[in-house]
Amino acid sequence: MISVTPKASLDNESRIDLNNLAPEQVALDVKNLNLYYGEKQALQNITMSIPKGQVTAFIGPSGCGKSTLLRCINRMNDLVDSCRIEGEINLHGENIYERHVDVAALRRKVGMVFQRPNPFPKSIYENVVYGLRITGNNNRRMLDEAVEKSLRSAALWDEVKDRLHESALGLSGGQQQRLVIARAIAIEPEVLLLDEPTSALDPISTLTIEELINDLKKQFTVVIVTHNMQQAARVSDQTAFMYMGDLIEYSDTNTLFTTPSKKKTEDYITGRYG
Amino acid sequence: MNTWFKSGSPWIWLSAGGVSISLISVLGLLWLIASRGLSYFWPADIYQFEMQDQKGNKSTVIGEIYDRERIPVEQLAHLKLKLDPAQESIERLLVKTGNRELVSLDFRWLISPQIVKTSTPEELVVIERRTNGNAYGYIEEVILDGKSVGLEKLHELVDRVSRFQEQIEELQKVDIGAINYQIERLRLKERKHKLDGTLTDIVAQGIANEVAELKEEYRQLEQQLLALRQDVSRDKLVMRAMDGQRLNINFEHILEVTYSNQLSVFGKLGVFFSQITSFLVDDPREANTEGGVFPAIFGTVLMVLLMTVIVSPLGVVAAIYLHEYAGNNALTKLLRIAVINLAGVPSIVYGVFGLGFFVYMVGGSLDQLFYPETLPSPTFGTPGVLWSAITLAILTLPVVIVSTEEGLARIPSAMRHGSLALGATKAETLWRIILPIASPAIMTGIILAIARAAGEVAPLMLVGVVKMAPNLPLDGNFPFLHLDRKFMHLGFHIYDVGFQSPNVEAARPLVYATALLLVSIIVVLNMTAVSIRNRLREKYRMLEH
Repeated sequence: MISVTPKASLDNESRIDLNNLAPEQVALDVKNLNLYYGEKQALQNITMSIPKGQVTAFIGPSGCGKSTLLRCINRMNDLVDSCRIEGEINLHGENIYERHVDVAALRRKVGMVFQRPNPFPKSIYENVVYGLRITGNNNRRMLDEAVEKSLRSAALWDEVKDRLHESALGLSGGQQQRLVIARAIAIEPEVLLLDEPTSALDPISTLTIEELINDLKKQFTVVIVTHNMQQAARVSDQTAFMYMGDLIEYSDTNTLFTTPSKKKTEDYITGRYG
Repeated sequence: MNTWFKSGSPWIWLSAGGVSISLISVLGLLWLIASRGLSYFWPADIYQFEMQDQKGNKSTVIGEIYDRERIPVEQLAHLKLKLDPAQESIERLLVKTGNRELVSLDFRWLISPQIVKTSTPEELVVIERRTNGNAYGYIEEVILDGKSVGLEKLHELVDRVSRFQEQIEELQKVDIGAINYQIERLRLKERKHKLDGTLTDIVAQGIANEVAELKEEYRQLEQQLLALRQDVSRDKLVMRAMDGQRLNINFEHILEVTYSNQLSVFGKLGVFFSQITSFLVDDPREANTEGGVFPAIFGTVLMVLLMTVIVSPLGVVAAIYLHEYAGNNALTKLLRIAVINLAGVPSIVYGVFGLGFFVYMVGGSLDQLFYPETLPSPTFGTPGVLWSAITLAILTLPVVIVSTEEGLARIPSAMRHGSLALGATKAETLWRIILPIASPAIMTGIILAIARAAGEVAPLMLVGVVKMAPNLPLDGNFPFLHLDRKFMHLGFHIYDVGFQSPNVEAARPLVYATALLLVSIIVVLNMTAVSIRNRLREKYRMLEH
């Protein structure tokens, strides 16, 4: 057993039955998803329902397909030429892979934060309002309010409120990542995807962001990919364990980390392979 | 020895040596052009040489020394000079004697052994004139309105005349020029109506009235002009030239009178700077061998700016297509090969292409469609500044495309992904994020394009440059920027003055001066672009991870 206290064991109200979700509890519904990079199959028949207002973590060894699966949810895999997808992912009951879907609108509803912080070479203010300006919102007062709200939600406001118009590149790594999170939540998406958000940061920034994630789930559905099991145990409500493109086990975090039902899961979390 | 080799030091010395040689060559070139070019403006002393040839004939030569040379004795053996047998070479001086109406040659070689006495008398004067070049000699009389007056009135009278000349020039170029332009437009308007079949009596009468008004204005201006001309030709001076002949020079023709031998260093500096100034702002005279080069400067800069305006969007858009939107197929490969080959085409071939395609085909069609009333005299179907700018834009296109593509390739994909993940389309990402970050690279492409285009002369000779343009492409008459006009160009000016002028010796310093000017203008244009690029670099500097 790993020496970690799963978060779910600390608060009982968030327990939900993953196999019996009511439609309004579901944020994303993945059905029989298969993904091919050219000839090679990277995801095998993934089926899972991601509940709303909760933090769901994808864990697994390197190369298991967790980031690939995450990128399917906001269709960032479309940018890879050789990528082919079968199956569906339903957001509000509508398959996001239908031909008529407006991908840009989808990405406004499903935001993403990447592994390495990637603020634009603009001011902090302009970074946060980028998504709002894209939608045509140029009202100065509304933008100011949105900036303050997002930066507060990202726990960055106090540190940058006096230098909003300085370059974002002058911030530290942890601050940049929080800025990127603020930028993503400024457009008020429904789902927030976090792809190993703290793997490039120091422990103190990591802690700050993990606390942040706990706050964020009040407003958004959060899906986080992490190779750090302890982090998954700390922050998530549900965890999905993946191995070589297959979804091995998916249940609430407490169960998965204390009494996993599959041997592969147990081997992974006890550190038998990495 | 071996360790020195292995440490890599020889390579450092080699590359440092290469860079030093390049730097020294460039500086050496600049120093050469500058010293020979700037010496053209420095007021030279006027010498008086007393000569005596073999037969004992005495003569006087007055003029400025242009050059000194040593030539082997054998070349002048026919003169049968009495020389020391050990002497192998003789010095000879190239003297500019001016006074073109009295002597057949402006320049003369004087052989040192024949010079008996050299002096620089203070009363020797050089008179710069509007026609027939400089005159050298002694001023004997100044005649004001028929009466002889003292020499002290000289400068006052020269100033008076130059003020009148300015007025005359303004009257001719600006006022009368505008009227002529208007009359021409009315004529074309009438012709257009005739071709369209809409020339009713009312319309014709209206045009005729306007023309009559303009002609009346013209008559008045002509009167003013005549009056000014009379004022200007009132006075004259009498000058004694080197062989004793007397020359009457009307003040109308005089630009400057300078007692070169009386000038102190400050005086010479003053003349130096005023000569440089007039070189930069005056129009050329005497078939481009004298006067200023202002129309050439104006034409060069205008054409380079037009070319930049045309090539920048074209090149950037082409690079964006190739980098962002083009698929990885045979067509794209073909396009890239085509772009690279564009850079290898000789520039004169571009000139021929520009002439055939732009001037005759496109220009001819434009004339048929929009300017039928001017035919058979072409408007756009003839070389002009627009076609020159477009031809050079195509010539420099590959440079801009390659630079921009380099800049786009250097942008980390994390930027793109970040923008797309926020719901921006590809086009929005390009416009808001990618292009601003790539702007220093785009500026680099533009700098290289300017540097190449400003020096190209061969294609321009076919598509728009002339030896002497009657007017500038930009003036006060609507539509102000006349893209159909021919223009003058510094590079062509150098070629024309250096090789086509009637008096090559006189023109040589002018060639250097114009070359120095052209290099300076290119340096200024480049420095401006570089400073813009540096500011953009600072703005979009990204931390290297």
